[in-house]
Amino acid sequence: MIKRLCAIGAMGLALVLTACGGGGGGSGGSTASTGSTTTTTTTPTLTNFTTLTVDSGPTALTTNPNGYIDDNIAFVSVTICAPGSTTNCQTIDHVEVDTGSTGLRILVSVITPSLLSALSTETDASSNPVGECLGFVDGYTFGSVRQADFQIGGESVANMPFQAIGDTGVFSTVPSTCSSGGGTNEGTLLALGANGIIGIGVMATDCDAACTVPGGYGAAIYYDCPSTGCSSIITRAASTTAPFQQLPNPVAAMSVDNNGTIISLPAAPTAGEATMTGTLYFGIGTQTNNGLGSATVLTTTTSTSRDGAGLITVDFNNTALNESFLDSGSNLYVFSDSSIPICTETNYTDYYCPTSPVTLSTTLVGANGTSAPASIVINNAYTFFDSTNAVVPGIGGSPASLNQSAVYPQSFDLGLPFFYGRNVYTAIENRTAGSATGPYFAY
Amino acid sequence: MKHKRNQPAPLRRTQTWPAAVRLCGGMIAVLAWFGFAAPSFATLGGVSATIEADRAHLAARSSTVVNADYTVHIMTLPNGGTVKEFERSDGVVFGIAWRGPSRPDLRQLLGARFNVLQSDIAVHGGRRLRAPLADERSDFVLHSAGHSGAFVGSAYLPQMAPSDFSISALQ
Repeated sequence: MIKRLCAIGAMGLALVLTACGGGGGGSGGSTASTGSTTTTTTTPTLTNFTTLTVDSGPTALTTNPNGYIDDNIAFVSVTICAPGSTTNCQTIDHVEVDTGSTGLRILVSVITPSLLSALSTETDASSNPVGECLGFVDGYTFGSVRQADFQIGGESVANMPFQAIGDTGVFSTVPSTCSSGGGTNEGTLLALGANGIIGIGVMATDCDAACTVPGGYGAAIYYDCPSTGCSSIITRAASTTAPFQQLPNPVAAMSVDNNGTIISLPAAPTAGEATMTGTLYFGIGTQTNNGLGSATVLTTTTSTSRDGAGLITVDFNNTALNESFLDSGSNLYVFSDSSIPICTETNYTDYYCPTSPVTLSTTLVGANGTSAPASIVINNAYTFFDSTNAVVPGIGGSPASLNQSAVYPQSFDLGLPFFYGRNVYTAIENRTAGSATGPYFAY
Repeated sequence: MKHKRNQPAPLRRTQTWPAAVRLCGGMIAVLAWFGFAAPSFATLGGVSATIEADRAHLAARSSTVVNADYTVHIMTLPNGGTVKEFERSDGVVFGIAWRGPSRPDLRQLLGARFNVLQSDIAVHGGRRLRAPLADERSDFVLHSAGHSGAFVGSAYLPQMAPSDFSISALQ
C-alpha cells in the first residue's frame, strides 16, 4: 500500500512537472510501465537522459585508508570505447557532473590497459602528442588528449577528445605554466574525489577562441609534447564537430539534443540523506521531456567577456555580486557574509556554522536583466557533516575570516545544494535552446 | 559595508611621474606604455623582479592609473583577461588583482608568496572542500573565486599597503 501510494505520488509529480514543461521523471518508456489502464504510447521511447546519483563516491575512494566520503557531488556513468569498436569498451562510474567546466576528463588510472592502449593521443602540427592543462578554482588537471567513442544515456559522440588525467610517460611531468596557476594537482583519485569530470558548462569547447591564437591560453592550455616533455603552448581549433582539436563540451558535440542540459534533482531532507537519485537530460526544448517551460532564463557572460564565460549577478545583502555562477561541480555555497559565524572546529574553519539555520534572501540576475529570487538556507556545517550522509544541503563555505571579508571577490558560488529540488537548465553559448539563446542558466 | 566599490581617490599632483602621465590630467591619469622600459619596482613580496618583467612574462599590454597614494598598473592579457598591480608611491608593490578566463601565472606574480600559498592550502584536512584558493596570514592575504573559464581574485600585503588604502579597491 505504501509502495503504491509512493508510486502514485511519483507519477503525479511527473505529470505536474511535465505539465509545467520542465524535466523531471523519466518520460517515454517509463510512463507506460506505471500500470495506467489508459496507456497510449504513440511517442518513441526517449533516451536523451541518464541517471544522476549523489553518493559517497567511487568505492576505491571510500575504501582507501586515506580516503573520504564525497559530499554533494552528482555523478553519472559514461562509456568510452576504442574508436570504431563496440566491444573494447568500458563504463566509467562516478564521473562528476560539472556545469562550471567544459570537456570530459577521466583519470587514466581507472581506464583498463587494453582500452587505454587503443585510445590514440591527439597529435599536433609537429606530429607530437598533445597535452592539456585545465584550471579549476582549487587547482588543475594535466594529462594527454586522447580520443574515444563516447556514450552517455542514449547519446553518443564518435572520436571525441578527452583529457586522460595523470597520464604517464611524457605527461608525467606537469609543465610549470600549468602548475603556476596555483592550487592542487588533481591528478589522483584522492585529489579529484571522482573517476572523472564531465564538464557541461556554457562553453562549447574548453578554451574557445583563447587557444586559437599563437601562445594563447584560457581556461585550458594545450601543449606540444615531444619526448623531451610538454612545454610549448600550441594553438588548437575550437570545433564541436570532427575533426576535433580542443575538448568539446560533450553535449555540444552530440548530433541531437546538443544545445544544453537539465539537471533535475529532488529536494533533500533538511538533515541530509545517504544518497539521492535524479536525472540529467540532454537538450533543451528538443524532446517532450526537456521543455524550458516557465523557467526563468538568466543569460550569462560569454567566452569573449572580459571576466570570462558563465557569470551572472547575485543580489545579496544589498550588494550586486557580479562574478557569481551556478556550479554543480562546487559541493557547497561559497559566499562572504560576516554576520554568519564560522566554524571553530579543526578542519572546519572554512565553513559556516550558524547556531541555528539561517535563511538568505538572494536574487539572481542575468546579463539580460531578468531576475529570479532564490531563498538559501545555511546550516551548521560541523553538525551536519558529522554523519555518513553524502547529501548535505545547506552547507556554506566561508572564503574569508571576518576581518578580511572585503578581500573576497564579488562572487556567490551556487553549488550543488542549490540544485536540490530544482530543474536547472544550462544552455551552451550560441545555441538556441527553447525560446532563448545560450549562454544561459535557467530554473 | 563590504563589497562596496571604493570612490576613486583624488589624483596626487605632486608625484614624480613622467610628464606624459600628468599631461593626461583629470581625476585619473592613464599612460599606456606598451612595453617601453619602465622604472624598476618590486613584484609582490620580492625586490628583484619588476612589474615590467611581469608584463613581459604575461605578454600583456599595460597602462597605469594614478591615485593619491598608489598607482595601479593594468595589464591586458592576450586572452582578454586583466592583471592589476598596486604600487605604493615609493615603488613597493603591495597588491595584485586578476580577472579573466584563466588564472594568471601566480608563481610569477606572487614571487616568494607563491610557495606560502601552496604550502598553506596543502594543510586542509578532513572532507574534500571544493573551495577557491585562499590564504589569510597577518602579512599576506589572497582570495579568489570563479570556475573554469572565469576566474577572479586578488592578493595583498596588509602591512605594506598605504595607510589610507581601502581594500575594496583591490579588484
